Amino acid sequence: MGDATIITPDRRTPDAVIETRNFTKKYGKFLALDAVNLTIPPASIGLLGANGAGKSTLIRSLLGIIKPTSGDANVVGYDTKTHGIKVREHVGYMPEADALPMGTTAADFVGHMAEMSGLPPRQARQRAADVLQQVGLGEERYRLIKGFSTGMRQRVKLAQAIVHDPQLVFLDEPTAGMDPQGREDMLELVERIYRRMGISVVFSSHILEDIELVCDYVIILDQGRVLASQSLKHSEENLGEVVVQVDGDANAFAQGLRAHQATVRVEEDAATGHPILVVDVHDEHMYDVIRNVAVEQQSVIRKLRSRSRSLEDLYLGSVNAIAEVENVG
Amino acid sequence: MSANPVPETDARYGEIFDRGYARYDGPRRGRRGAITSLIGFSMKRAMGIRKSWTAKVMPFILYVAATIPLIVMIGVLAVFRTMGNLDEFGNFVSYSGYFMAISTMLGLFVAICAPEMICVDRHERTLPLYFSRAISRNDYVFAKIVAMVLLAMTMTALPGSILWLGQQLTQDQARQAMVDNSGDLLKVLILGVLTSLLYGTVGLMISSFTNRKGVAIAIILIGFLVVTGISQGLAVALEDYEWGKWFLLGDLNTITLSLSNHFFHDVVGNEFVERLAISQWQAIGIMIGIPLIATLILRWRYATRDDA
Repeated sequence: MGDATIITPDRRTPDAVIETRNFTKKYGKFLALDAVNLTIPPASIGLLGANGAGKSTLIRSLLGIIKPTSGDANVVGYDTKTHGIKVREHVGYMPEADALPMGTTAADFVGHMAEMSGLPPRQARQRAADVLQQVGLGEERYRLIKGFSTGMRQRVKLAQAIVHDPQLVFLDEPTAGMDPQGREDMLELVERIYRRMGISVVFSSHILEDIELVCDYVIILDQGRVLASQSLKHSEENLGEVVVQVDGDANAFAQGLRAHQATVRVEEDAATGHPILVVDVHDEHMYDVIRNVAVEQQSVIRKLRSRSRSLEDLYLGSVNAIAEVENVG
Repeated sequence: MSANPVPETDARYGEIFDRGYARYDGPRRGRRGAITSLIGFSMKRAMGIRKSWTAKVMPFILYVAATIPLIVMIGVLAVFRTMGNLDEFGNFVSYSGYFMAISTMLGLFVAICAPEMICVDRHERTLPLYFSRAISRNDYVFAKIVAMVLLAMTMTALPGSILWLGQQLTQDQARQAMVDNSGDLLKVLILGVLTSLLYGTVGLMISSFTNRKGVAIAIILIGFLVVTGISQGLAVALEDYEWGKWFLLGDLNTITLSLSNHFFHDVVGNEFVERLAISQWQAIGIMIGIPLIATLILRWRYATRDDA
């Protein structure tokens, strides 16, 4: 059993939160992870791939929930083979499937999970209350989980994943099965985890748009192989588009922008159905134009977000390149 | 003045307010803290604590049922010892008598608690959450066994100790009796721990084969009854053969009473204890060996698998 003494957290800040060398997982003859080599810096990391690409297998192997067939991995500076428990002490995990005890209150369960990560009982209860507040369940924390909606259950899962203040949190398809509003709220939470809380995030999804919205680094997986592993920052610099959502008449706002020689089109937001304006941005001056039009029309800008076409290009390009190589072969 | 002092807001349900995130730089207790928490959480869940009242009903009924023979025995001791005719009650007021009286209730208690500790984690898929925390699979199995044994001890060692106290307090020289009979207390505790370990680990092992609590409860109950019945039946049918007695190893109550008889010499007229006729160390070995086998099977059920 572990040391009985109180352990002061060893908050390392490794250059790479995940490092793998020839990390391979086979299910019988099926190759789920094919010699994966990664060096991932602290970031909001998107793990992108179609269903069955190996995303969940990679996460679960890195956590030691399933055994890799071969290869090595380091997570938050610890070797997963020799320091598995240390890794799990400093890492959070939100599984894709429902994984909550229905007959327990959210506060009890999240507090218990904090203790399971080594926090003393009093601090665990306090952290549980704070984190449930952070995910928008402050008022609901003493209710039984079985009475929660899908969105609320996802928030409880997220709360238990970050309650012990990990250095890295794995979120396995956190928006799966959620309605548009719930999905948007969840994405907002995921974004806050890295940007405000300083916890690196590995966000697994098969939805390009979700990853594009909240991640600044992407790993693309296909049939267990890493097709791409790179920062998205470079792509954002060459954006060319910004998405604007305003209160009031979107068409009038678009007209106002066009009066300033902006190229703009009105679309419908896929998640919420609200009208959004997609504005071509050639230089930073366009942000001033958007602000000025908002002032002129006394409109409130609800959202202003850059949108990258490059991720889609990157994904399709990588998948197509592999397909071509296989066809030639 | 407004009738409603709560200010109206435009906030929608579940809206997220950024109150700032505080990092945690306090102490961390590591694995020991995690194991302790899992033991406590498992015990609370099994007893229905902080759950709906329906979850508390069965454990409560069983505790009441287990307390009745204890109260009756201490009452009989108090009344008839003063009257001087306690011997008429033979082995009724005895440690073995108590363990025999509560064996069915202990089986029921384990059948209720063990599936709650084991099946629910599988059924509600919380196992991946546990295995992604600061514990190993050995720790998980260890915590579940400790939780189950501690709960079972509240039906065995705790009431057994109270019975010992009752035995001493009803003596003329109570204080001297406590000193003289302190060895009995140790034996009661050993018997209580081993009995709890025996029933508890077998119950947990059976529960680990199904995700369904109801199925596990049924299998444990039927299993205890059927295996006991078959064991006793075979032992009787094969009474001409010496080796036939070993079928009684399937009867947990006979094993318990065998050890109890070695400790207290108070089992009278029990044909199965007489038929099994094992030594004290054999009884202890069996009461440790069966839990050991059950623990190994239980651990095997939590081996790292691809479907974990």
